[in-house]
Amino acid sequence: MVAIPAKYLLAPAGSKVLLLGNEAIARAAIESGIGFASAYPGTPSTEIIEALAEMAKDVGFYVEWSTNEKVAFEAAYAASLAGVKALVAMKHVGVNVAADILMSSAYAGTNAGFLVVSADDPGQHSSQNEQDNRWYGFLAHIPVIEPWSPSSAYRLVKAAYELSERYRHPVIFRSTTRISHTRESILLEHDIPKNIKTKGVFDRDIKRYVLIPAHGRLLKKKMMEKWNRIIETEGREPFIKIINPGNRKVIIASGIAYAHTIEALEHLGRGNEYTIVRVSLPVPLPRKPIIEICREASKVLVLEELDPIVEQQVKKILFDEGIETKVYGKEYVPLNQDLDLDKVYRAIKAFEGLDPSETPWRPREPIKTEPPIPPRPPVMCPGCPHRNTFYIIKVAANKAGLRNPVFTGDIGCYTLGFQKPFKTQETSFEMGGSIGVAHGLSKTIEEPVIAVIGDSTFYHAGIPPSINIVYNKGRAIVLVLDNYYTAMTGHQPHPGTGYTAIGEKTYRVPAEKILESIGFKTYVINPMNVRESIEKVVEAYKAYREGGQVAIVSRMKCALQALRDARRAGIKLPVYGIIEDKCTGCMVCVNLLACPAIIVPEDGKKPRILPELCAGCGLCAQVCPFNAIEVIRPGDPDWIKAWM
Amino acid sequence: MTRYNVLLVGVGGQGLLTLGSIIGNAAIENNVHVTIAETHGLSQRGGSLIVHVRLGEGSSPLIPRGAADLIIGLEALETARYIEYARENALVVMNEFLWPPPLAKTPSLNTIIDEAGKRARLYIINANKEAERATGLVVTANTLILGYAIGVDKDFAKLLGGIDVVEKALARVFRGKALGLNKKALRRGYELAVSQ
Ligand SMILES: Cc1ncc(C[n+]2csc(CCOP(=O)(O)OP(=O)(O)O)c2C)c(N)n1
Repeated sequence: MVAIPAKYLLAPAGSKVLLLGNEAIARAAIESGIGFASAYPGTPSTEIIEALAEMAKDVGFYVEWSTNEKVAFEAAYAASLAGVKALVAMKHVGVNVAADILMSSAYAGTNAGFLVVSADDPGQHSSQNEQDNRWYGFLAHIPVIEPWSPSSAYRLVKAAYELSERYRHPVIFRSTTRISHTRESILLEHDIPKNIKTKGVFDRDIKRYVLIPAHGRLLKKKMMEKWNRIIETEGREPFIKIINPGNRKVIIASGIAYAHTIEALEHLGRGNEYTIVRVSLPVPLPRKPIIEICREASKVLVLEELDPIVEQQVKKILFDEGIETKVYGKEYVPLNQDLDLDKVYRAIKAFEGLDPSETPWRPREPIKTEPPIPPRPPVMCPGCPHRNTFYIIKVAANKAGLRNPVFTGDIGCYTLGFQKPFKTQETSFEMGGSIGVAHGLSKTIEEPVIAVIGDSTFYHAGIPPSINIVYNKGRAIVLVLDNYYTAMTGHQPHPGTGYTAIGEKTYRVPAEKILESIGFKTYVINPMNVRESIEKVVEAYKAYREGGQVAIVSRMKCALQALRDARRAGIKLPVYGIIEDKCTGCMVCVNLLACPAIIVPEDGKKPRILPELCAGCGLCAQVCPFNAIEVIRPGDPDWIKAWM
Repeated sequence: MTRYNVLLVGVGGQGLLTLGSIIGNAAIENNVHVTIAETHGLSQRGGSLIVHVRLGEGSSPLIPRGAADLIIGLEALETARYIEYARENALVVMNEFLWPPPLAKTPSLNTIIDEAGKRARLYIINANKEAERATGLVVTANTLILGYAIGVDKDFAKLLGGIDVVEKALARVFRGKALGLNKKALRRGYELAVSQ
């Protein structure tokens, strides 16, 4: 066995390593020789660039967190035009943000391998929708590759780069949550290349790169030629694989459905009765293997997650050929949610005409108690600055007589403010949406409107709508929650952090400077200082009521990061406790703050702070009407530094 | 040749992903194929968390309800919530630790122990307390409970190549001081199980 270095992503060929799907994609991209990678974070895509950023200096390629997906795409695409192999990664909804350049990139093509990794989220584990991005392949005329496991992703990334180079065309590599976030033991096949190409040449070609209508019309013809060539010639391994040819029953399984199918057939003991077509190139689906296998088939079952993209193509291909074999698909598997072994097992049974309610596994009876087992939705962490800010803006609204404000919201950890007791997120549609929606509401309703947006989200898509408010005389307040990081996705740096993806110091672009130059009177608060912040926000609300354009920036470091920084620097943070004698059991701390570190014990009379969870922010002590919450374990004298 | 299914449940922040990673690396050391389906993103913020570990050939990542051979629960409410996943006669190793979500009423720890005991071969261990005693750090409770699970589940232990291989695999996950502490926690958990 080969020794595994600390950076296991750099292990030599022949090593067996445990890789997250996203790490497998990153490693394969390195093996393919990328010189440029960019992304905006988003679950489930984030770890691709995180892994690449960690390896960038060792291997010698360029990596960045861009301000949004459109910018990330443009940058990586440009690298490929210069002849440098490139990768851009985003979550499925990020492709919506980058869709404009995606479309154009297919017209102009590429000069070096270029992969657009779209990490989709069937089941909506961490997203606002579960759109199936394989449709983008049709829309843009860009082929889509989808793996069925982390180890297949590792191999298919390399094949996808070859495909991209063969056609000088972008390729969409579509992963999903259950591939991106599954670890698998993977045998590394190739070493990290020695000579990485990071510099290229931009060969001017106006007819190709300036998409005026006259050029676009010609380019589209070329694009269609490539598209048809892919359909006719790429129906082979590794994109299409035929397993067990010669059977009359056929399952066509795309992406992860293949992994479920193999195991389901094993459980059914019917592995040998089926010919299986494993599809890793669902768009455009190559015709020949489909015709060949389905011509002799008695019936065909298409298994795929989300939309019937392969199913519809199979039906069209067979219809055009005059083949009458019946094709089934979404009758047996749902259009929503992720697939799993259980669903696919039942689908195949139903397809066989057997009772799908019979399975080899028997769930235990759920535990029913009184009171029942409570749900445990994600919550703001102990010490989360958003909790302080939400408390402050609500108290200040009362003090300033700002009646019944509408809080439009956005996407990030702070979205959790939709819950009780805060309810300071009353919309959340897409990144940056809080501000545009606030503007529209401010023009059409009587109540005051406050747009509440995270810092990373502000840089991503919050600036044009802020300009729009001032330009069009909107009446919404913009509140930026600056916790220094893109916290939701795991603390990636952004333009307000002062560091790049690989940890180098860079310029800081403070949100207040942007807001001020747009024309907002901007108030900056530190929500750890509760009283002072309330006063400032009251002042801001008053200025707003007098007709001013007002913005607020609330700046305090993400608690998870503060705890991490304290640990690294060996700084002891204070810990608070509830003094039993002073506590009256009024439950103000519990009910106004919903901090996970404050619990009500089984007897239910007086709350208690779990010391191992307390982050020492002190908000509860400032809120307690009886001064019953005190520091019980003092921090180091300079503990506040960990929060700065 | 069915795969061996281990479900890890708990609360975001308790170190479930690390626990999965240790098991996965031990499986690699022992030349057993493994997939580990994790939960990232929003649920990591103090939400209910579930990790599917599957040992043996294959790449379908999720364990069907009623197919888990072993459940390791780092928190009682979460163990109760996911008990459906256990197959008949499954082993459940549960941390004696109930962590109520904010603003919620919960059943008592004893009620959960009773109910879980009716549905599986239940083992209880106060991993937080034992970890603090063994290493001074509650965060090593996950490694300690893994050692314990290896002690009580012979099939699981065999698939990972036994406690020594798991200890070796810790070096693929931890370095420096953390490695030493986790070795201690692992051994302690194992001893607590086999000395019963
Ligand atoms: C178009 C798009 N890209 C990425 C995401 C993933 N995403 C969700 S929230 C978020 C960032 C939140 O960061 P920030 O605004 O700083 O708030 P925080 O989580 O730090 O409170 C990201 C990148 C998304 N939902 N949509």
